[in-house]
Amino acid sequence: VAKPPSRSPVHLRLYVAGQAPNSVLAIANAKALCEGHYLPGYKLEIVDLMKHPLRALKDGIVVTPTLVRLSPKPTRKVIGTLADQTQVILALGAA
Amino acid sequence: VTPIANKTAALTQRLSEAEATIEALISGQIDAVVDTRTKGPVLLSKAQDALRASEERYRQIVETANEGIWTIDANSITTFMNGRMAAMLGYTQAEVIGMPLTSIVSKAEQPKTASNIENGREGRRSESALIRKDGTELWVSVSSTPRMNAAGEYAGALAMITDRTEHRQAEDALRRSEEQYRQIVENTTDGIVTVDPSGQIIFVNKRFAEILGYVPQEMMGKLATTFMTPAQQAVAKAAFTRRANGLKDSFDTGFVHRTGREVLVNISGSPVVDAEGNHIASLAVVRDTTESTRLQSQLMVSDRMASVGTLAAGVAHEINNPLAAVMANLDYIADVVGKLGTSSPGAMTPAMRETRIRDEIKAPLDDAREAAERVRFIVRDLKMFSRSPSEELKGPVSVKDVMESSLRMAWNEVRHRARLVKNYGNVPDVDANEARLGQVFLNLIVNAAQAIPEGCADSNEIRVATRLERKRVVIEVTDTGPGIPPEILNRVFDAFFTTKGGVGTGLGLAICHRIVTDIGGELTVRSELGVGTVFRVSLPEAVIEPVTAQPATIPPVGRRGRILIVDDEEMIIRILTRILGKEHEVVATVDAREALALCVAGEKFDLILCDLMMPLMTGMELHSEISLLSPDQAKAMIFVTGGAFTEKTRSFLSDIPKEHIEKPFDAANLRAIVQRYLR
Repeated sequence: VAKPPSRSPVHLRLYVAGQAPNSVLAIANAKALCEGHYLPGYKLEIVDLMKHPLRALKDGIVVTPTLVRLSPKPTRKVIGTLADQTQVILALGAA
Repeated sequence: VTPIANKTAALTQRLSEAEATIEALISGQIDAVVDTRTKGPVLLSKAQDALRASEERYRQIVETANEGIWTIDANSITTFMNGRMAAMLGYTQAEVIGMPLTSIVSKAEQPKTASNIENGREGRRSESALIRKDGTELWVSVSSTPRMNAAGEYAGALAMITDRTEHRQAEDALRRSEEQYRQIVENTTDGIVTVDPSGQIIFVNKRFAEILGYVPQEMMGKLATTFMTPAQQAVAKAAFTRRANGLKDSFDTGFVHRTGREVLVNISGSPVVDAEGNHIASLAVVRDTTESTRLQSQLMVSDRMASVGTLAAGVAHEINNPLAAVMANLDYIADVVGKLGTSSPGAMTPAMRETRIRDEIKAPLDDAREAAERVRFIVRDLKMFSRSPSEELKGPVSVKDVMESSLRMAWNEVRHRARLVKNYGNVPDVDANEARLGQVFLNLIVNAAQAIPEGCADSNEIRVATRLERKRVVIEVTDTGPGIPPEILNRVFDAFFTTKGGVGTGLGLAICHRIVTDIGGELTVRSELGVGTVFRVSLPEAVIEPVTAQPATIPPVGRRGRILIVDDEEMIIRILTRILGKEHEVVATVDAREALALCVAGEKFDLILCDLMMPLMTGMELHSEISLLSPDQAKAMIFVTGGAFTEKTRSFLSDIPKEHIEKPFDAANLRAIVQRYLR
């Protein structure tokens, strides 16, 4: 797996729907992903659409849970519980 | 990077995002969807859980079902089969998707299936044959339901399929076994008939119809009693009731053949019950016994003749004694009469001579007559035993008379072995045939005698006793022989069982048992070794009142008539002329043709006494000739017979209005009969 350059900070944002089961799973998986395998300078932001519903349309989100890589560009989306780490890394890392 | 390439990359990006979204949706990883109208997220989880759970339930039902489940689309292409259905056909579930109906349903069944789909776009059940992957046939029952799309158009069908192969095999086996039973029922030599509780014939096999001269179709549906006489109907109804109460039976009865004759049968009956044990019919296995009954009665006659044959020497002895007495007395009388002519004529007055004749002749004449009377009894006894079954009439019979006849017949067997002790109680008549009853008694007496060795007549006894016991007439024949060992005592009534070695046929007691049972009686035996044996016959009293014999009224001297006597035996003509000649004008001839000539010539007779059996022209022939010539003269005929009838002569005599006279006859009786008809 080709790693992005170490200098580039990685900004991830996870959109969830409160404590819904898949959202809980996605948060846990995202944290594990960042702590274990990803770059040290990551930034994981979690947005609860139940609390901030308007952010969904604004950010172009259709379903939850959705993980978005905001930077480096271009943005990438991964949808679901993020259970398959290899797939997630592939999806986010193949920039 | 060109703008077009950028645009393409962006579109590809969005497409893959959409795919990922759909995939996530399908795999149930989505919690909420953002609603563009409310501009907020809508939680999915509950609905989805429910959906997932319910889908899972259905999936389990479909996959664990014992029935095969099969769906086709509007073009009859397989869209789904559950595991059971695919397994039945020997395919995997994946293999069958897309297979057309025509490669699964057997060729023979395709037109039916096609028309079912064409016409019956509604649920239906049917049987069909499918073809497995290996080419073998699979019999199934199909329950199908059409599926409609939103527009109400036919969109395919869902079918529930059950494997019928095993049912089919079971059904085939059942059919085969039924066929086997049918063959047995149709080919058995016994008749089989079932009758429902209303008495209607449900089934008859070919043989039963044959016994009665019909074909089965003619009998089915008719009342069973249609084929019976009233007496047989009563027997049948009793049997139906018995079987309705769950009992089996076996008995002898009869039916009326199509031609009207009686068919004798033995019936083994049993009730027919359904699975719940309710009585639904009465089943009878019918054996035609007409022939065997005829053979049996022949056997009975031959046994009776055999008994008489065995006794012939004794009977001859019985006849010879009185016959010797008759002859000696007649010689003596002839001697006395002869001397009368020579001894001192004139020394006696006519009155003295008359007294002398009376004194000298009366006693020997009486003796001769008594002796002759004994011969007559013995001959009558013999005749009793030689009657054929067709002449056998049942009627009130005196047990004592029959026993006396039998004892006379058996006397020669008895007298060298034992003293005879008779103990006749006052018993009513029994309803039996005297010849057959005589056969029973004769057998028992001869058996009793033969059980005792010859030579110790003084120390042995044969006891004959009759008495009334609880409305039944009991006859016992007891001997003081060695007794019958207990181990063979219960076999003495078996046919062909004999202890007499080559002498006995083993039929005597078997036939006795049959005769006694036939008239509603019982024949039993008890025996003690070293003491003796008792055979006991118990019979029902006669229900018919005995006809009291008309006392023979001695008619006053009647008018003088003109009598023609026809008999081939000159001796008989002489004695008849002697008896009747003083009172009547008698014309006699030994030739029936001469008698006929007299009638043709116009001679008139008040009575014609005619023998039946004559060599040149029989009495019957004479009767028919005279009937043609002059019916009045024919009516004047009285027949005089010496017995030993054929069936033809017997029926002839029963058609003649006048009674016949049996030889031997006594003079007084003969005169009385003649006078009666002359009046």
